[in-house]
Amino acid sequence: MDTRYIRNFSIVAHIDHGKSTLADRMLEITGTITSREAQDQMLDDMDLERERGITIKASAVTMNYEYEGHNYMLNLIDTPGHVDFHYEVSRALAACEGALLVVDATQGVQAQTVANAYLAVESGAELMGVINKVDLPSAQPDVVGEEIEHVLGVKKGECFHISAKTGKGVKEVLDAICAFLPEPKDLSNEKTQALIFDSHFDEYRGVICYVRVFSGKLKLKQKVRLMGTGRTYLITEIGKFCPKMKPTGELGTGEVGYLISNIKTLGDVTVGDTITDDAEPAQKALEKYTPPLQMVFSDFYPDTNTDYPKLRGAFDKLALNDASFSFVPQNSPALGFGFRCGFLGLLHMEIIQERLERENDIGVVQTAPSVSYEVVTHDGKVTKIDSPSQLPDRTHIEELREPFVRLEIITGTDSIGNVMKLAEERRCKLVKTDYLGPTRVIMEYKAPLAEIVYDFYDLLKSISHGYGTMDYEFMGFEKSNLVKIDILINGNPVDALSLIVHRDNAEQRGRKLIIKLRRAIPRHQFEIPLQVAIGGKIIARETIKAFRKDVTAKLYGGDVTRKMKVLKKQKEGKKRMKSIGNVQIPQKAFMSILDTSD
Amino acid sequence: MKRIKKVQAGNTATPFRSGVNSMCRTSQNSSGLYAHIPFCKSKCAYCNFYSEPVSLHDTNRLVQALLKELSQADTRLVRTIYIGGGSPSCLPLSELEELVKAIRSKCPNFVEFTIECNPGQVNPEMLELLYNLGVNRISIGAQSFDDNELKCLGRIHNSKAIETAMYQARQVGFKNISLDLIFAICGSTLQKWQESLDHAIALNPEHISAYSLTIEPETPLGKAIEEGKFSAIDESTDRAMYEQTIDVLTKAGYEHYEISNFAKPGYECQHNIGYWQNRPYIGIGPAAASSTGTCRMQNFSDIKTYVNAIESGQSCVEESILISDIERICETAVLNLRTIYGIDIEEFKQFTGQNPCLLFEEPIRIHCEQGLLNIENNRIFLTAKALPIADYVLCDFASL
Repeated sequence: MDTRYIRNFSIVAHIDHGKSTLADRMLEITGTITSREAQDQMLDDMDLERERGITIKASAVTMNYEYEGHNYMLNLIDTPGHVDFHYEVSRALAACEGALLVVDATQGVQAQTVANAYLAVESGAELMGVINKVDLPSAQPDVVGEEIEHVLGVKKGECFHISAKTGKGVKEVLDAICAFLPEPKDLSNEKTQALIFDSHFDEYRGVICYVRVFSGKLKLKQKVRLMGTGRTYLITEIGKFCPKMKPTGELGTGEVGYLISNIKTLGDVTVGDTITDDAEPAQKALEKYTPPLQMVFSDFYPDTNTDYPKLRGAFDKLALNDASFSFVPQNSPALGFGFRCGFLGLLHMEIIQERLERENDIGVVQTAPSVSYEVVTHDGKVTKIDSPSQLPDRTHIEELREPFVRLEIITGTDSIGNVMKLAEERRCKLVKTDYLGPTRVIMEYKAPLAEIVYDFYDLLKSISHGYGTMDYEFMGFEKSNLVKIDILINGNPVDALSLIVHRDNAEQRGRKLIIKLRRAIPRHQFEIPLQVAIGGKIIARETIKAFRKDVTAKLYGGDVTRKMKVLKKQKEGKKRMKSIGNVQIPQKAFMSILDTSD
Repeated sequence: MKRIKKVQAGNTATPFRSGVNSMCRTSQNSSGLYAHIPFCKSKCAYCNFYSEPVSLHDTNRLVQALLKELSQADTRLVRTIYIGGGSPSCLPLSELEELVKAIRSKCPNFVEFTIECNPGQVNPEMLELLYNLGVNRISIGAQSFDDNELKCLGRIHNSKAIETAMYQARQVGFKNISLDLIFAICGSTLQKWQESLDHAIALNPEHISAYSLTIEPETPLGKAIEEGKFSAIDESTDRAMYEQTIDVLTKAGYEHYEISNFAKPGYECQHNIGYWQNRPYIGIGPAAASSTGTCRMQNFSDIKTYVNAIESGQSCVEESILISDIERICETAVLNLRTIYGIDIEEFKQFTGQNPCLLFEEPIRIHCEQGLLNIENNRIFLTAKALPIADYVLCDFASL
């Protein structure tokens, strides 16, 4: 097809700003689907996504649209809207020449809008402003337009005012896509270069690669080579998403579609890799983009040890469809056999956890999420660790580095004070403050990831009356004054409770933790000291008092049935606990490090 | 009088042999009979037993129902009898007489016949009647000798009434009297409890049951504490009072033979020992429980439902639970361990067909290591250290 009539674009937006609704409307207007067959929000094909209003996996769809007498091929590449899925957004954007930036007219610019817009600009995509939900009574399209112009540099006057729900203005957007967004470069005579921007695993057909052809073309039965791995495959099916997969026999320059070959597992495909012809390969690969960074780690243990194989099976299945998720076996003396899992971020972790329980019916015990650290030893070697237990002896450590992120918070001006207080408590450094308008402000921080991974977002929501939004982007590892705090229960260090924290917070965090443990561990017949230690030095102590009495005063004939039940229960309670030394610790105690509240 | 002489056999029998071995005296084939009188003159503040105000009920109708239930029971093996409540002493004398007589003739081979008495309700006439009918043990619900504590408990009597009841019981000839005491009552102190114990010892009862106050949330006392009108005794003081009880009573010549029970040598309550040996028992009356060893039954608690069932010739059992072999073994272990004598390994083997040392190998080992259990002279028993925290140990015997 003539590349002049091809447009590849993405829609980027904050959650719930109407991206999926807009996509649905476009599919309808272009006749790609009829409104009758339009399942609401066609592009979100996982239940979980629809339920949470979040698009997790990028999807692509090809639409045909007539504009000024020409038949255009519009390829919409959907992107996730959440903070954790930067990587997925970036790979979708790399396949596009343009992006629609959708902002809710009642909500205004949000942190994710900004983050995604930056990504689009970085990838070289042309931005088009779209203000959605203008039909709502509380819509303020002018104010929002000013925000867009101020923060994102898209002129207020160039923004489209639409209602994706009613369809108002959507046709104008489609026209503008044809009229204003750049066309793909015509490199059809060059050697073949196609970008894999996503992949998914289909139980019946194996790995399905989502591709964008930049030069040359791809066709059925062609022998292709993945330039990154050097492996060769034969294309057994090639086609477009309309929105269902429709074989077309080939994909030309500028086109977007899928290909199926004999690739067995997702692990064999690196998203970002370049496909070329095996016989006439391109000189070099397309520029790769940043691979996904796993930022958050957490241990998952099955509720009951016998569920371990079941849990492994479930993780295998999840990893097949999610290249950003990883897991390795882990054995904790306290919690038994489980897995250490890596995630892009907290939402990603939550989604995996939910899917695990929903699709597999497995109860899991999950440890506190942590981040990875870089350890520089005296010999100059840099190692990455993702668990305090991997930390080498402190005499070998030259320095410890922790991950920092650029954190952007958008909130109302009335909660600036609260946000600053929270940020300060979490060791965040203010980089700049910018007013979006008279009542809203965007604050940029340099923040240690460890401080924001767990409950920061919830706290932000609560101190900003629900209006605050945030996004973050990984900046790099930096030297930090970190210490490992060990928790000793009755004199025995318990590895599952160790934490890596900043020295300034060590005492406070440790103290809070042992107070929580004191509440979570039942009293024993002896006093149990709980201690916080840094490098062998005790910095805080709590004591679980011994229980003094535990005996039923009367037990006669009529009391036996009831009492036996109570005693059995007491025994069950003992059983569910893990023995460390001679102290019985219930599983919930291990979870108490999750909870940083007072 | 001739008749009286005859039934006094229980009274004149040689007291049971002293010491721990008395636990083994009751033969394996014996059983106990418990009759529940669900009436009280007024409900005590701490009590969560089933009872109703006597004034609201036709006591005679209940007694007749009890008698009918009794007549259908197989009482051939009954050796111990216990009439409790509620307050059996709030029944009209004639009804009490009818009940005692009927029980006696249905269970002619009894060795111990106890009746609970409220010190606020007894009088010489009642005591004499009971004594003459063959009742050979009375249990006086003294609870405390501190009138403020008695008030807190909502008792209708005062400390003076206890002395009077005791005196009258001795006067008519009772040679086996038990006092029930409660410690850790709100507002109590080690000093006050010492005084109550001294007072009890001075009255020289053969038997003393001393219970730590259990605060049940649904009772008036439980609510008063929740509302902050009283404050519960802290755990450490409670324990100190318990240890004080053991210390004081043992020094005064009482043998500590079960967690909450003390007796002069030979005066252990045989009826209750039956429970702790997991022997069968027959319970008659509302809310009473029976056990055959393989089945435990509980009568309707509600007086009307119970009486109606009996009168219409239907079963008065509200719930019956089958007890598996394993459950019976576990119950036996738990109940045995409540006694200071503990589990008699040989007797346990005979009774259950299982060796407790093998069956409960792990809990025995763990608790022996921690100094909470001891095995000596073919017995497994709680150590002194374990008594205040007995449930912590016993729960490991509650299932296999």
